Amino acid sequence: MSQEMTAGLRAPEPIGESVPGNRGIWVGIFCVLVEFLLLFCVYFIAKAHHPAAFERGPDQLATVAGVTITLLLLTSGYCMVKAVAAIRRDARRTTLRWVLAALLLGLGYPCVKFFEIRWNVAHGIDGAAGIFYTVYYYLTLNHLVHVSWGLLGLAWVATRTALGVYSSRDYSGLEAAAMYWHGTDVLWLILFPFFYVLR
Amino acid sequence: MNRLGHAEKIWLLLLALTLAGAWLAETGHAGWPLTFVVAGLIAIKGRLVIDHYMAITTAHPRIRRILHGFVTLVPLMVIFSHGWGDVLRRITTLH
Repeated sequence: MSQEMTAGLRAPEPIGESVPGNRGIWVGIFCVLVEFLLLFCVYFIAKAHHPAAFERGPDQLATVAGVTITLLLLTSGYCMVKAVAAIRRDARRTTLRWVLAALLLGLGYPCVKFFEIRWNVAHGIDGAAGIFYTVYYYLTLNHLVHVSWGLLGLAWVATRTALGVYSSRDYSGLEAAAMYWHGTDVLWLILFPFFYVLR
Repeated sequence: MNRLGHAEKIWLLLLALTLAGAWLAETGHAGWPLTFVVAGLIAIKGRLVIDHYMAITTAHPRIRRILHGFVTLVPLMVIFSHGWGDVLRRITTLH
């Protein structure tokens, strides 16, 4: 394992003892995971009752929008990995640049969603277009709400990074925001195939 | 020549898997092959983000188990819903 890998991606605490970020953020992350697990059950139950609608549904959606959102979130998440690695080296200006890059890329998500929904509505795909689209709007807009909290968190840690609050000895707030942001990544990596790929 | 770091390799792998998913979205047909591939993509991409972006391999075991369990359970749900959709429909029908 390279030194960069250890420095950039692994927490320095002893194995099995660290809580990345802080305990509070993990309560929040696990609550969101439970919430989405229930929403996934809604998806599977609706799919079981209306298999034909779920087989045809993805054909009508703009795959490019879903793919763009995935690429934006994954790249934004990568920026937060680099931000956490940078603050561990006390490279504060570099940290700020990575956090701002993560924030800007993350803001691309609501922008793409806006145009996607506008395109959908222009093609007659609104919440009443069928069970597949009702579930699609319910789950993806719910995810967008959680992404909005994440974006607010990134804006908050960007401000605090600019103010010089974080250092290699105390960066739990920055890491907590990164953990939540990666959590929203994981959820989108599930939602994307549910609505754009799986039939 | 600059060599790619570990974070860059993971990022590029995730992008490549996403583009593979995009290709499937345009060409895939309902059936077991698509179901297994989608379940696999969810499990692999989820583990990549959890293990490498969140660096969860060194975290408290409870955090690690819950996150790993989440990205294992969901692909299993994908497979179950495809193969046993009639069972799921029966147990979720109110009469």
